[in-house]
Amino acid sequence: MIHKILIVDDSPVSRKMLKSCIPKDRECQFVEAGDGLAGIESYKKHRPDVTFMDLTMPVMDGITALTEILKYDKPAIVIVLTADIQIKSINRALDAGAFLVVKKPPTRERIQDVLSQAEAVLRKTS
Amino acid sequence: MNDTQISEDEQDILQEIMNIAFGQAAAELAEIINIFVVLSVPYIRMIEAVDLPGYIQTEFSEFGNISIVEQNFWGDFKGTALLIFPAGSGRELVSLLDDSPAAEFQYSDILEKETLMEVGNILIGACVGKVAELLKDVVTYSPPKVIVEDHPDITMSKTLFDPANSAIILKTVFCFNERNVHGFLFLITSHKSVVWLKTALADFMKQYE
Repeated sequence: MIHKILIVDDSPVSRKMLKSCIPKDRECQFVEAGDGLAGIESYKKHRPDVTFMDLTMPVMDGITALTEILKYDKPAIVIVLTADIQIKSINRALDAGAFLVVKKPPTRERIQDVLSQAEAVLRKTS
Repeated sequence: MNDTQISEDEQDILQEIMNIAFGQAAAELAEIINIFVVLSVPYIRMIEAVDLPGYIQTEFSEFGNISIVEQNFWGDFKGTALLIFPAGSGRELVSLLDDSPAAEFQYSDILEKETLMEVGNILIGACVGKVAELLKDVVTYSPPKVIVEDHPDITMSKTLFDPANSAIILKTVFCFNERNVHGFLFLITSHKSVVWLKTALADFMKQYE
């Protein structure tokens, strides 16, 4: 169900950590972007099923990118993956339309869980 | 490259770990003293400890005096954390906690010292503690020591800059409740700890292979 995943994060280590948490048998295709602006462009170009978005990034932050992506494609599933776990930051992300907020570092169990939740929504809407 | 230097890959891993650790520190600060911290992308660099005074002089030359919160930590990862604020930051923090503009606040040196100590203690503890936790280490801390508004030349203890030590520079800008307070965190650690750190970073990434 989830074939293409966009990862927007300025840290190549963070992107690698996330990819390793997604089981190989899902055979997902990954697209990566290093800041919010590049993330929006990648989203428009690749139309991923799910997007993972960091919040603290150079050029354009994650909240702005998330807002722009949802303006462009309202049903987009954008999961915020962030080290900024202040309650206000989490609420800002959810208010901006994040599907879920996941704290860093990611774990296989948590990522499996959020992908299952995303799949359930995709199933309903397809 | 010798075993007391870190590679670019190791620097990237450390940057991500510091990013997570600083997120934890901000969350703890936000919870304890009810302020919102806007985080920035941390800048990480490792230099020899003997070069740190020159680095600090250059970085803080435009600010004049500085305030320092210094705290030692012990574990496999062992060293000294220095949280440095440019002149005026302590006053900003005090007024922030009082929720009134800095210019109007009736502050005292003691209040400024206590505020810097509290903020520094939370930030250093959460940051170093999270790094240690992620790298499967346990650290203990000395009580924080605070020096308020002094010249970098006078305040920096020369023993920290031993040629047998390395300095990890974590430069980040805190923005508390929409007021810019710049803070720099430096971790000074022995070459022996750097050797441990390199192994710990590699072990940390193994779980993501």
